[in-house]
Amino acid sequence: MSLPSAVVLAAGEGTRLRPLTRNRPKPMLPAGTRPILEHVFDQLIEAGIDSITVVVGYRGDRIRSYFGSSYREADLTYVRQDRQLGTGHALRAASSIIDGTTIVVNGDQLVDSRLIDDVATAHDVDAAATIGLVRRQEIGEYGGAILDDDGTVAELVERPQDKRAYKLNAGVYAVEPSIFDAIRRTEPTDGESSLIDAVTTLIEDGETVRGTVSDSYWLDATYPWDLLDLSDALFDTGVIGDEVASSATVHDSATIRSPVVIDRDCEVGPGAVVGPHTCLGENATVGSNAVVERSVIDADSRLGANATVVDCVTGIGVDVGHASVVPGGPGDVRVGDRFFEDEPIGALLADRVTDRGGVTYAPGTIVGATATIAAGTTVRGRIDDETEVRS
Amino acid sequence: MCGIIGYAGGESDDTVLERLLHGLSNLEYRGYDSAGIAVANAPLAVEKRQGELSELERALTDGGTDSDDWIGSDAVDGFDGPTGIGHTRWSTHGPPSDVNAHPHTSPNGSVAVVHNGIIENYCELREELSAAGYEFRSDTDTEVVPHLIDQERSAGVDRFAAFRAAIDRLEGSYAIAAVFPGCETIYVARHESPLVLGLGEDGNFLASDVPAFIEYTNQVVYLDDGEFAAVSPSSVTVSDESGAVVEKSIETIDWDPEDAGKSGYDHYMRKEITEQPRAIRDCLRGRIEELGGTVSLPELEGLESPSSVQFVACGTSYHAGLFGERLLQRRGIPAQTFVASEYDADELPVDEETLVVGVTQSGETADTMRALRGANRAGATTLALTNVVASSAARECDHVLYIRAGPEISVAATKSFASQQVTLSLLATALADTADPSSSASREHLRELRRLPDHIQSVLDDSNARSVAEAFLESDAYFFIGRGYNAPVALEGALKLKEITYRHAEGFPAGELKHGPLALVTEATPVFAIVSGREKTSATIGNVTEVQARGAPVVAVTDSPETVGSHADYVLEVPETHPAVMPIVANVQLQLVAYWLADALDRPIDKPRNLAKSVTVL
Repeated sequence: MSLPSAVVLAAGEGTRLRPLTRNRPKPMLPAGTRPILEHVFDQLIEAGIDSITVVVGYRGDRIRSYFGSSYREADLTYVRQDRQLGTGHALRAASSIIDGTTIVVNGDQLVDSRLIDDVATAHDVDAAATIGLVRRQEIGEYGGAILDDDGTVAELVERPQDKRAYKLNAGVYAVEPSIFDAIRRTEPTDGESSLIDAVTTLIEDGETVRGTVSDSYWLDATYPWDLLDLSDALFDTGVIGDEVASSATVHDSATIRSPVVIDRDCEVGPGAVVGPHTCLGENATVGSNAVVERSVIDADSRLGANATVVDCVTGIGVDVGHASVVPGGPGDVRVGDRFFEDEPIGALLADRVTDRGGVTYAPGTIVGATATIAAGTTVRGRIDDETEVRS
Repeated sequence: MCGIIGYAGGESDDTVLERLLHGLSNLEYRGYDSAGIAVANAPLAVEKRQGELSELERALTDGGTDSDDWIGSDAVDGFDGPTGIGHTRWSTHGPPSDVNAHPHTSPNGSVAVVHNGIIENYCELREELSAAGYEFRSDTDTEVVPHLIDQERSAGVDRFAAFRAAIDRLEGSYAIAAVFPGCETIYVARHESPLVLGLGEDGNFLASDVPAFIEYTNQVVYLDDGEFAAVSPSSVTVSDESGAVVEKSIETIDWDPEDAGKSGYDHYMRKEITEQPRAIRDCLRGRIEELGGTVSLPELEGLESPSSVQFVACGTSYHAGLFGERLLQRRGIPAQTFVASEYDADELPVDEETLVVGVTQSGETADTMRALRGANRAGATTLALTNVVASSAARECDHVLYIRAGPEISVAATKSFASQQVTLSLLATALADTADPSSSASREHLRELRRLPDHIQSVLDDSNARSVAEAFLESDAYFFIGRGYNAPVALEGALKLKEITYRHAEGFPAGELKHGPLALVTEATPVFAIVSGREKTSATIGNVTEVQARGAPVVAVTDSPETVGSHADYVLEVPETHPAVMPIVANVQLQLVAYWLADALDRPIDKPRNLAKSVTVL
């Protein structure tokens, strides 16, 4: 069947992933070596969609300049949501473009094309909306749905804390233009107009809202260290596999331990060891005898000679100096007011962090964007954006 | 400067008209003071209008009954012939007007012609044809062509032979296409003006440039000088001057047609500014090995290391040439840069050890092509540094180095300038490599080139250029100064600003200010100073204090705000980097200043008045 067009919601920052979102929104953070959003586009295209409207907001220029006006065979149209007032509000930004059935997906979560396909197939126009669901044990952090026996959705609950049999709302919807009226009629919660609340309005109106349960994968990164799990899961599901780009240069004496992705224009120096479970983004450099293991090293970053980097997530343009050490997790991490113990993270280095060499990172260290760290220091805890750490 | 398109589709519906108009809109960057089309109905259906393409479209939908140039039936209904041609014009002979717009027709409507280029002997042909009773309606050189063809046709010659006989009479440069009433073949000739054929599934195209039809086909054939083609819905036949059929190779263009969209930006210029990190990644791909300290440019295989280098270029590309010149001089290779229209190989010392580098985004710039041809004749080795694969420069030079910037639509060059600078940096390193394979200076330079996409990204992320531009909306003039590697960027910053804002702007090497231009400096003339923290900062700061003493506001573009900032009213910061990489980053700030100033002044940023993207006349 020919699928309807799709709207991708990609306007939100993803504040829990700070400081990685200093310069780009969550959909542009790396899943493996490519932005999360690129995987979302891939799955939409895989499902047969060739016209995609992208709602951009926070740092939307990064999305537009990266993808331009088309991706693979799909046309991309951009609309702007100037203030981020919820997913319902975001969808309204695209209302002038939508007529007829539309697939709506989140631009910051990875979904399988089969799920998109299932939602499109299960939806017919007598239903006001159809929601894609997956089976999960842990739903508490996400959205849950209670299904009736006939496959209609009885109830949608955000962050459900009770023990009922919830399915996880995967954030894939087929909607009709009637959704816009429902969004308008729905009271904002905490100033945000939510798409889920609008669907609840449809259910309360007595409209049919279907749910379709799929066994396909659904992946989300809530906190910075989840980017490591995300790349692991992509390796496991085979979405990404061992790959060294043809424009990358790997010295003959370097060792590559799979699974590893080495993207375009990377350089790996003599004696270096890359992997396992490591992703090197475009134009990254691994110096002589450096070791990098279970890490996501984003584009333009460089690991100096003799650096050791384990369980590490970097932003773009990070400079880990010669002989610096990220010994790996687990570590205790503070995000906002919350404190997480024993998370599997060695260090998180945001965009353009520069260390001058011989720096040791205590497990769980988070360094803000454009911070500089003097040679020979040991850092721990949380360092703010643009801080200069002296020895 | 002008653009032509033709499509032979065979169907009697709107397809031909649709594809012609679409092609013209994709060619608008080549010129846009008038546009027209002719469709091979019987009689011919012709419509043409002064102004942007929208004027032509309006004339077509309104029926165009008020036009004198109207031949044949009325309204769009009349434009359903099997084949058609179109033209977008940038005036060279005669002012822009409906009458001077192409296509031009013979008085009895026996043929319609579109032409790009200049017919040098048109005066004598015009006299001859007038004497034979032909009446001229336009001021153009082109109008002699339909009359010449008609003269042959009246003598009973068949269409293609008449076309050939007419072309045979022409001197100068031309890409010409002609259609005849009710005939589904378009006849085409090329001499020193760009022309490319596109082989589609249900019809065939011809155009000045690939973007005109890339959405329909990526299979192309480039015509060479002196060749003719007969383009029909089902076939394309290329022949030489004697009429013998020529086997041409079919090339595949790997451009993405959607690259030409605006991605939701208001202007192509803004989109192209934001694309610079991506463009530079593409430019560098596979060309640098940082850890080994080497540059690899397989395209230059067989190039002997030259005793001296001469750059020939125009406009923004000239500024890139000046930058290349400095890079080579500092590597001990004598280099000079010439404005292409001022270059005369006969009067310059040129021998086979001289490398003449033509820097031209389009590869079709007429002044640069003429300089390169002169250099070729004088026995120099020639190298084209261009963005367009298989362009005239690429095909006629001994070597070609592509800058890989992707299609650039905005008339004001932005990303192509950045990619030219990067390519010149690689070229300079490659040419110097034989002398000094991996000096530490060049290794640092290469590392910073690899970091350049991220450096530019950080400027794009955090630039305050918009508020700086808006602080100087009503200034009398804008001056730009820089020293050494930053001097060419001072010139480019001024050129960009004047092109798109229509405000007076000048760039100078910083030290030159006190030798004259300082007389123009007042409180109402902001001075943009590009100052690298690592190169003769104190000298440039001296120049800055000179202008400050005259009350001029100073905007410093610098990688060391702490030392330079105290001398400036505004700072446009760039990341700290190698002195030879800094101007590439600094220029992005200046592009943004020009863009936001033009935007605040509500200028037609992508199509500044009187300018065309690719200047293919001398």
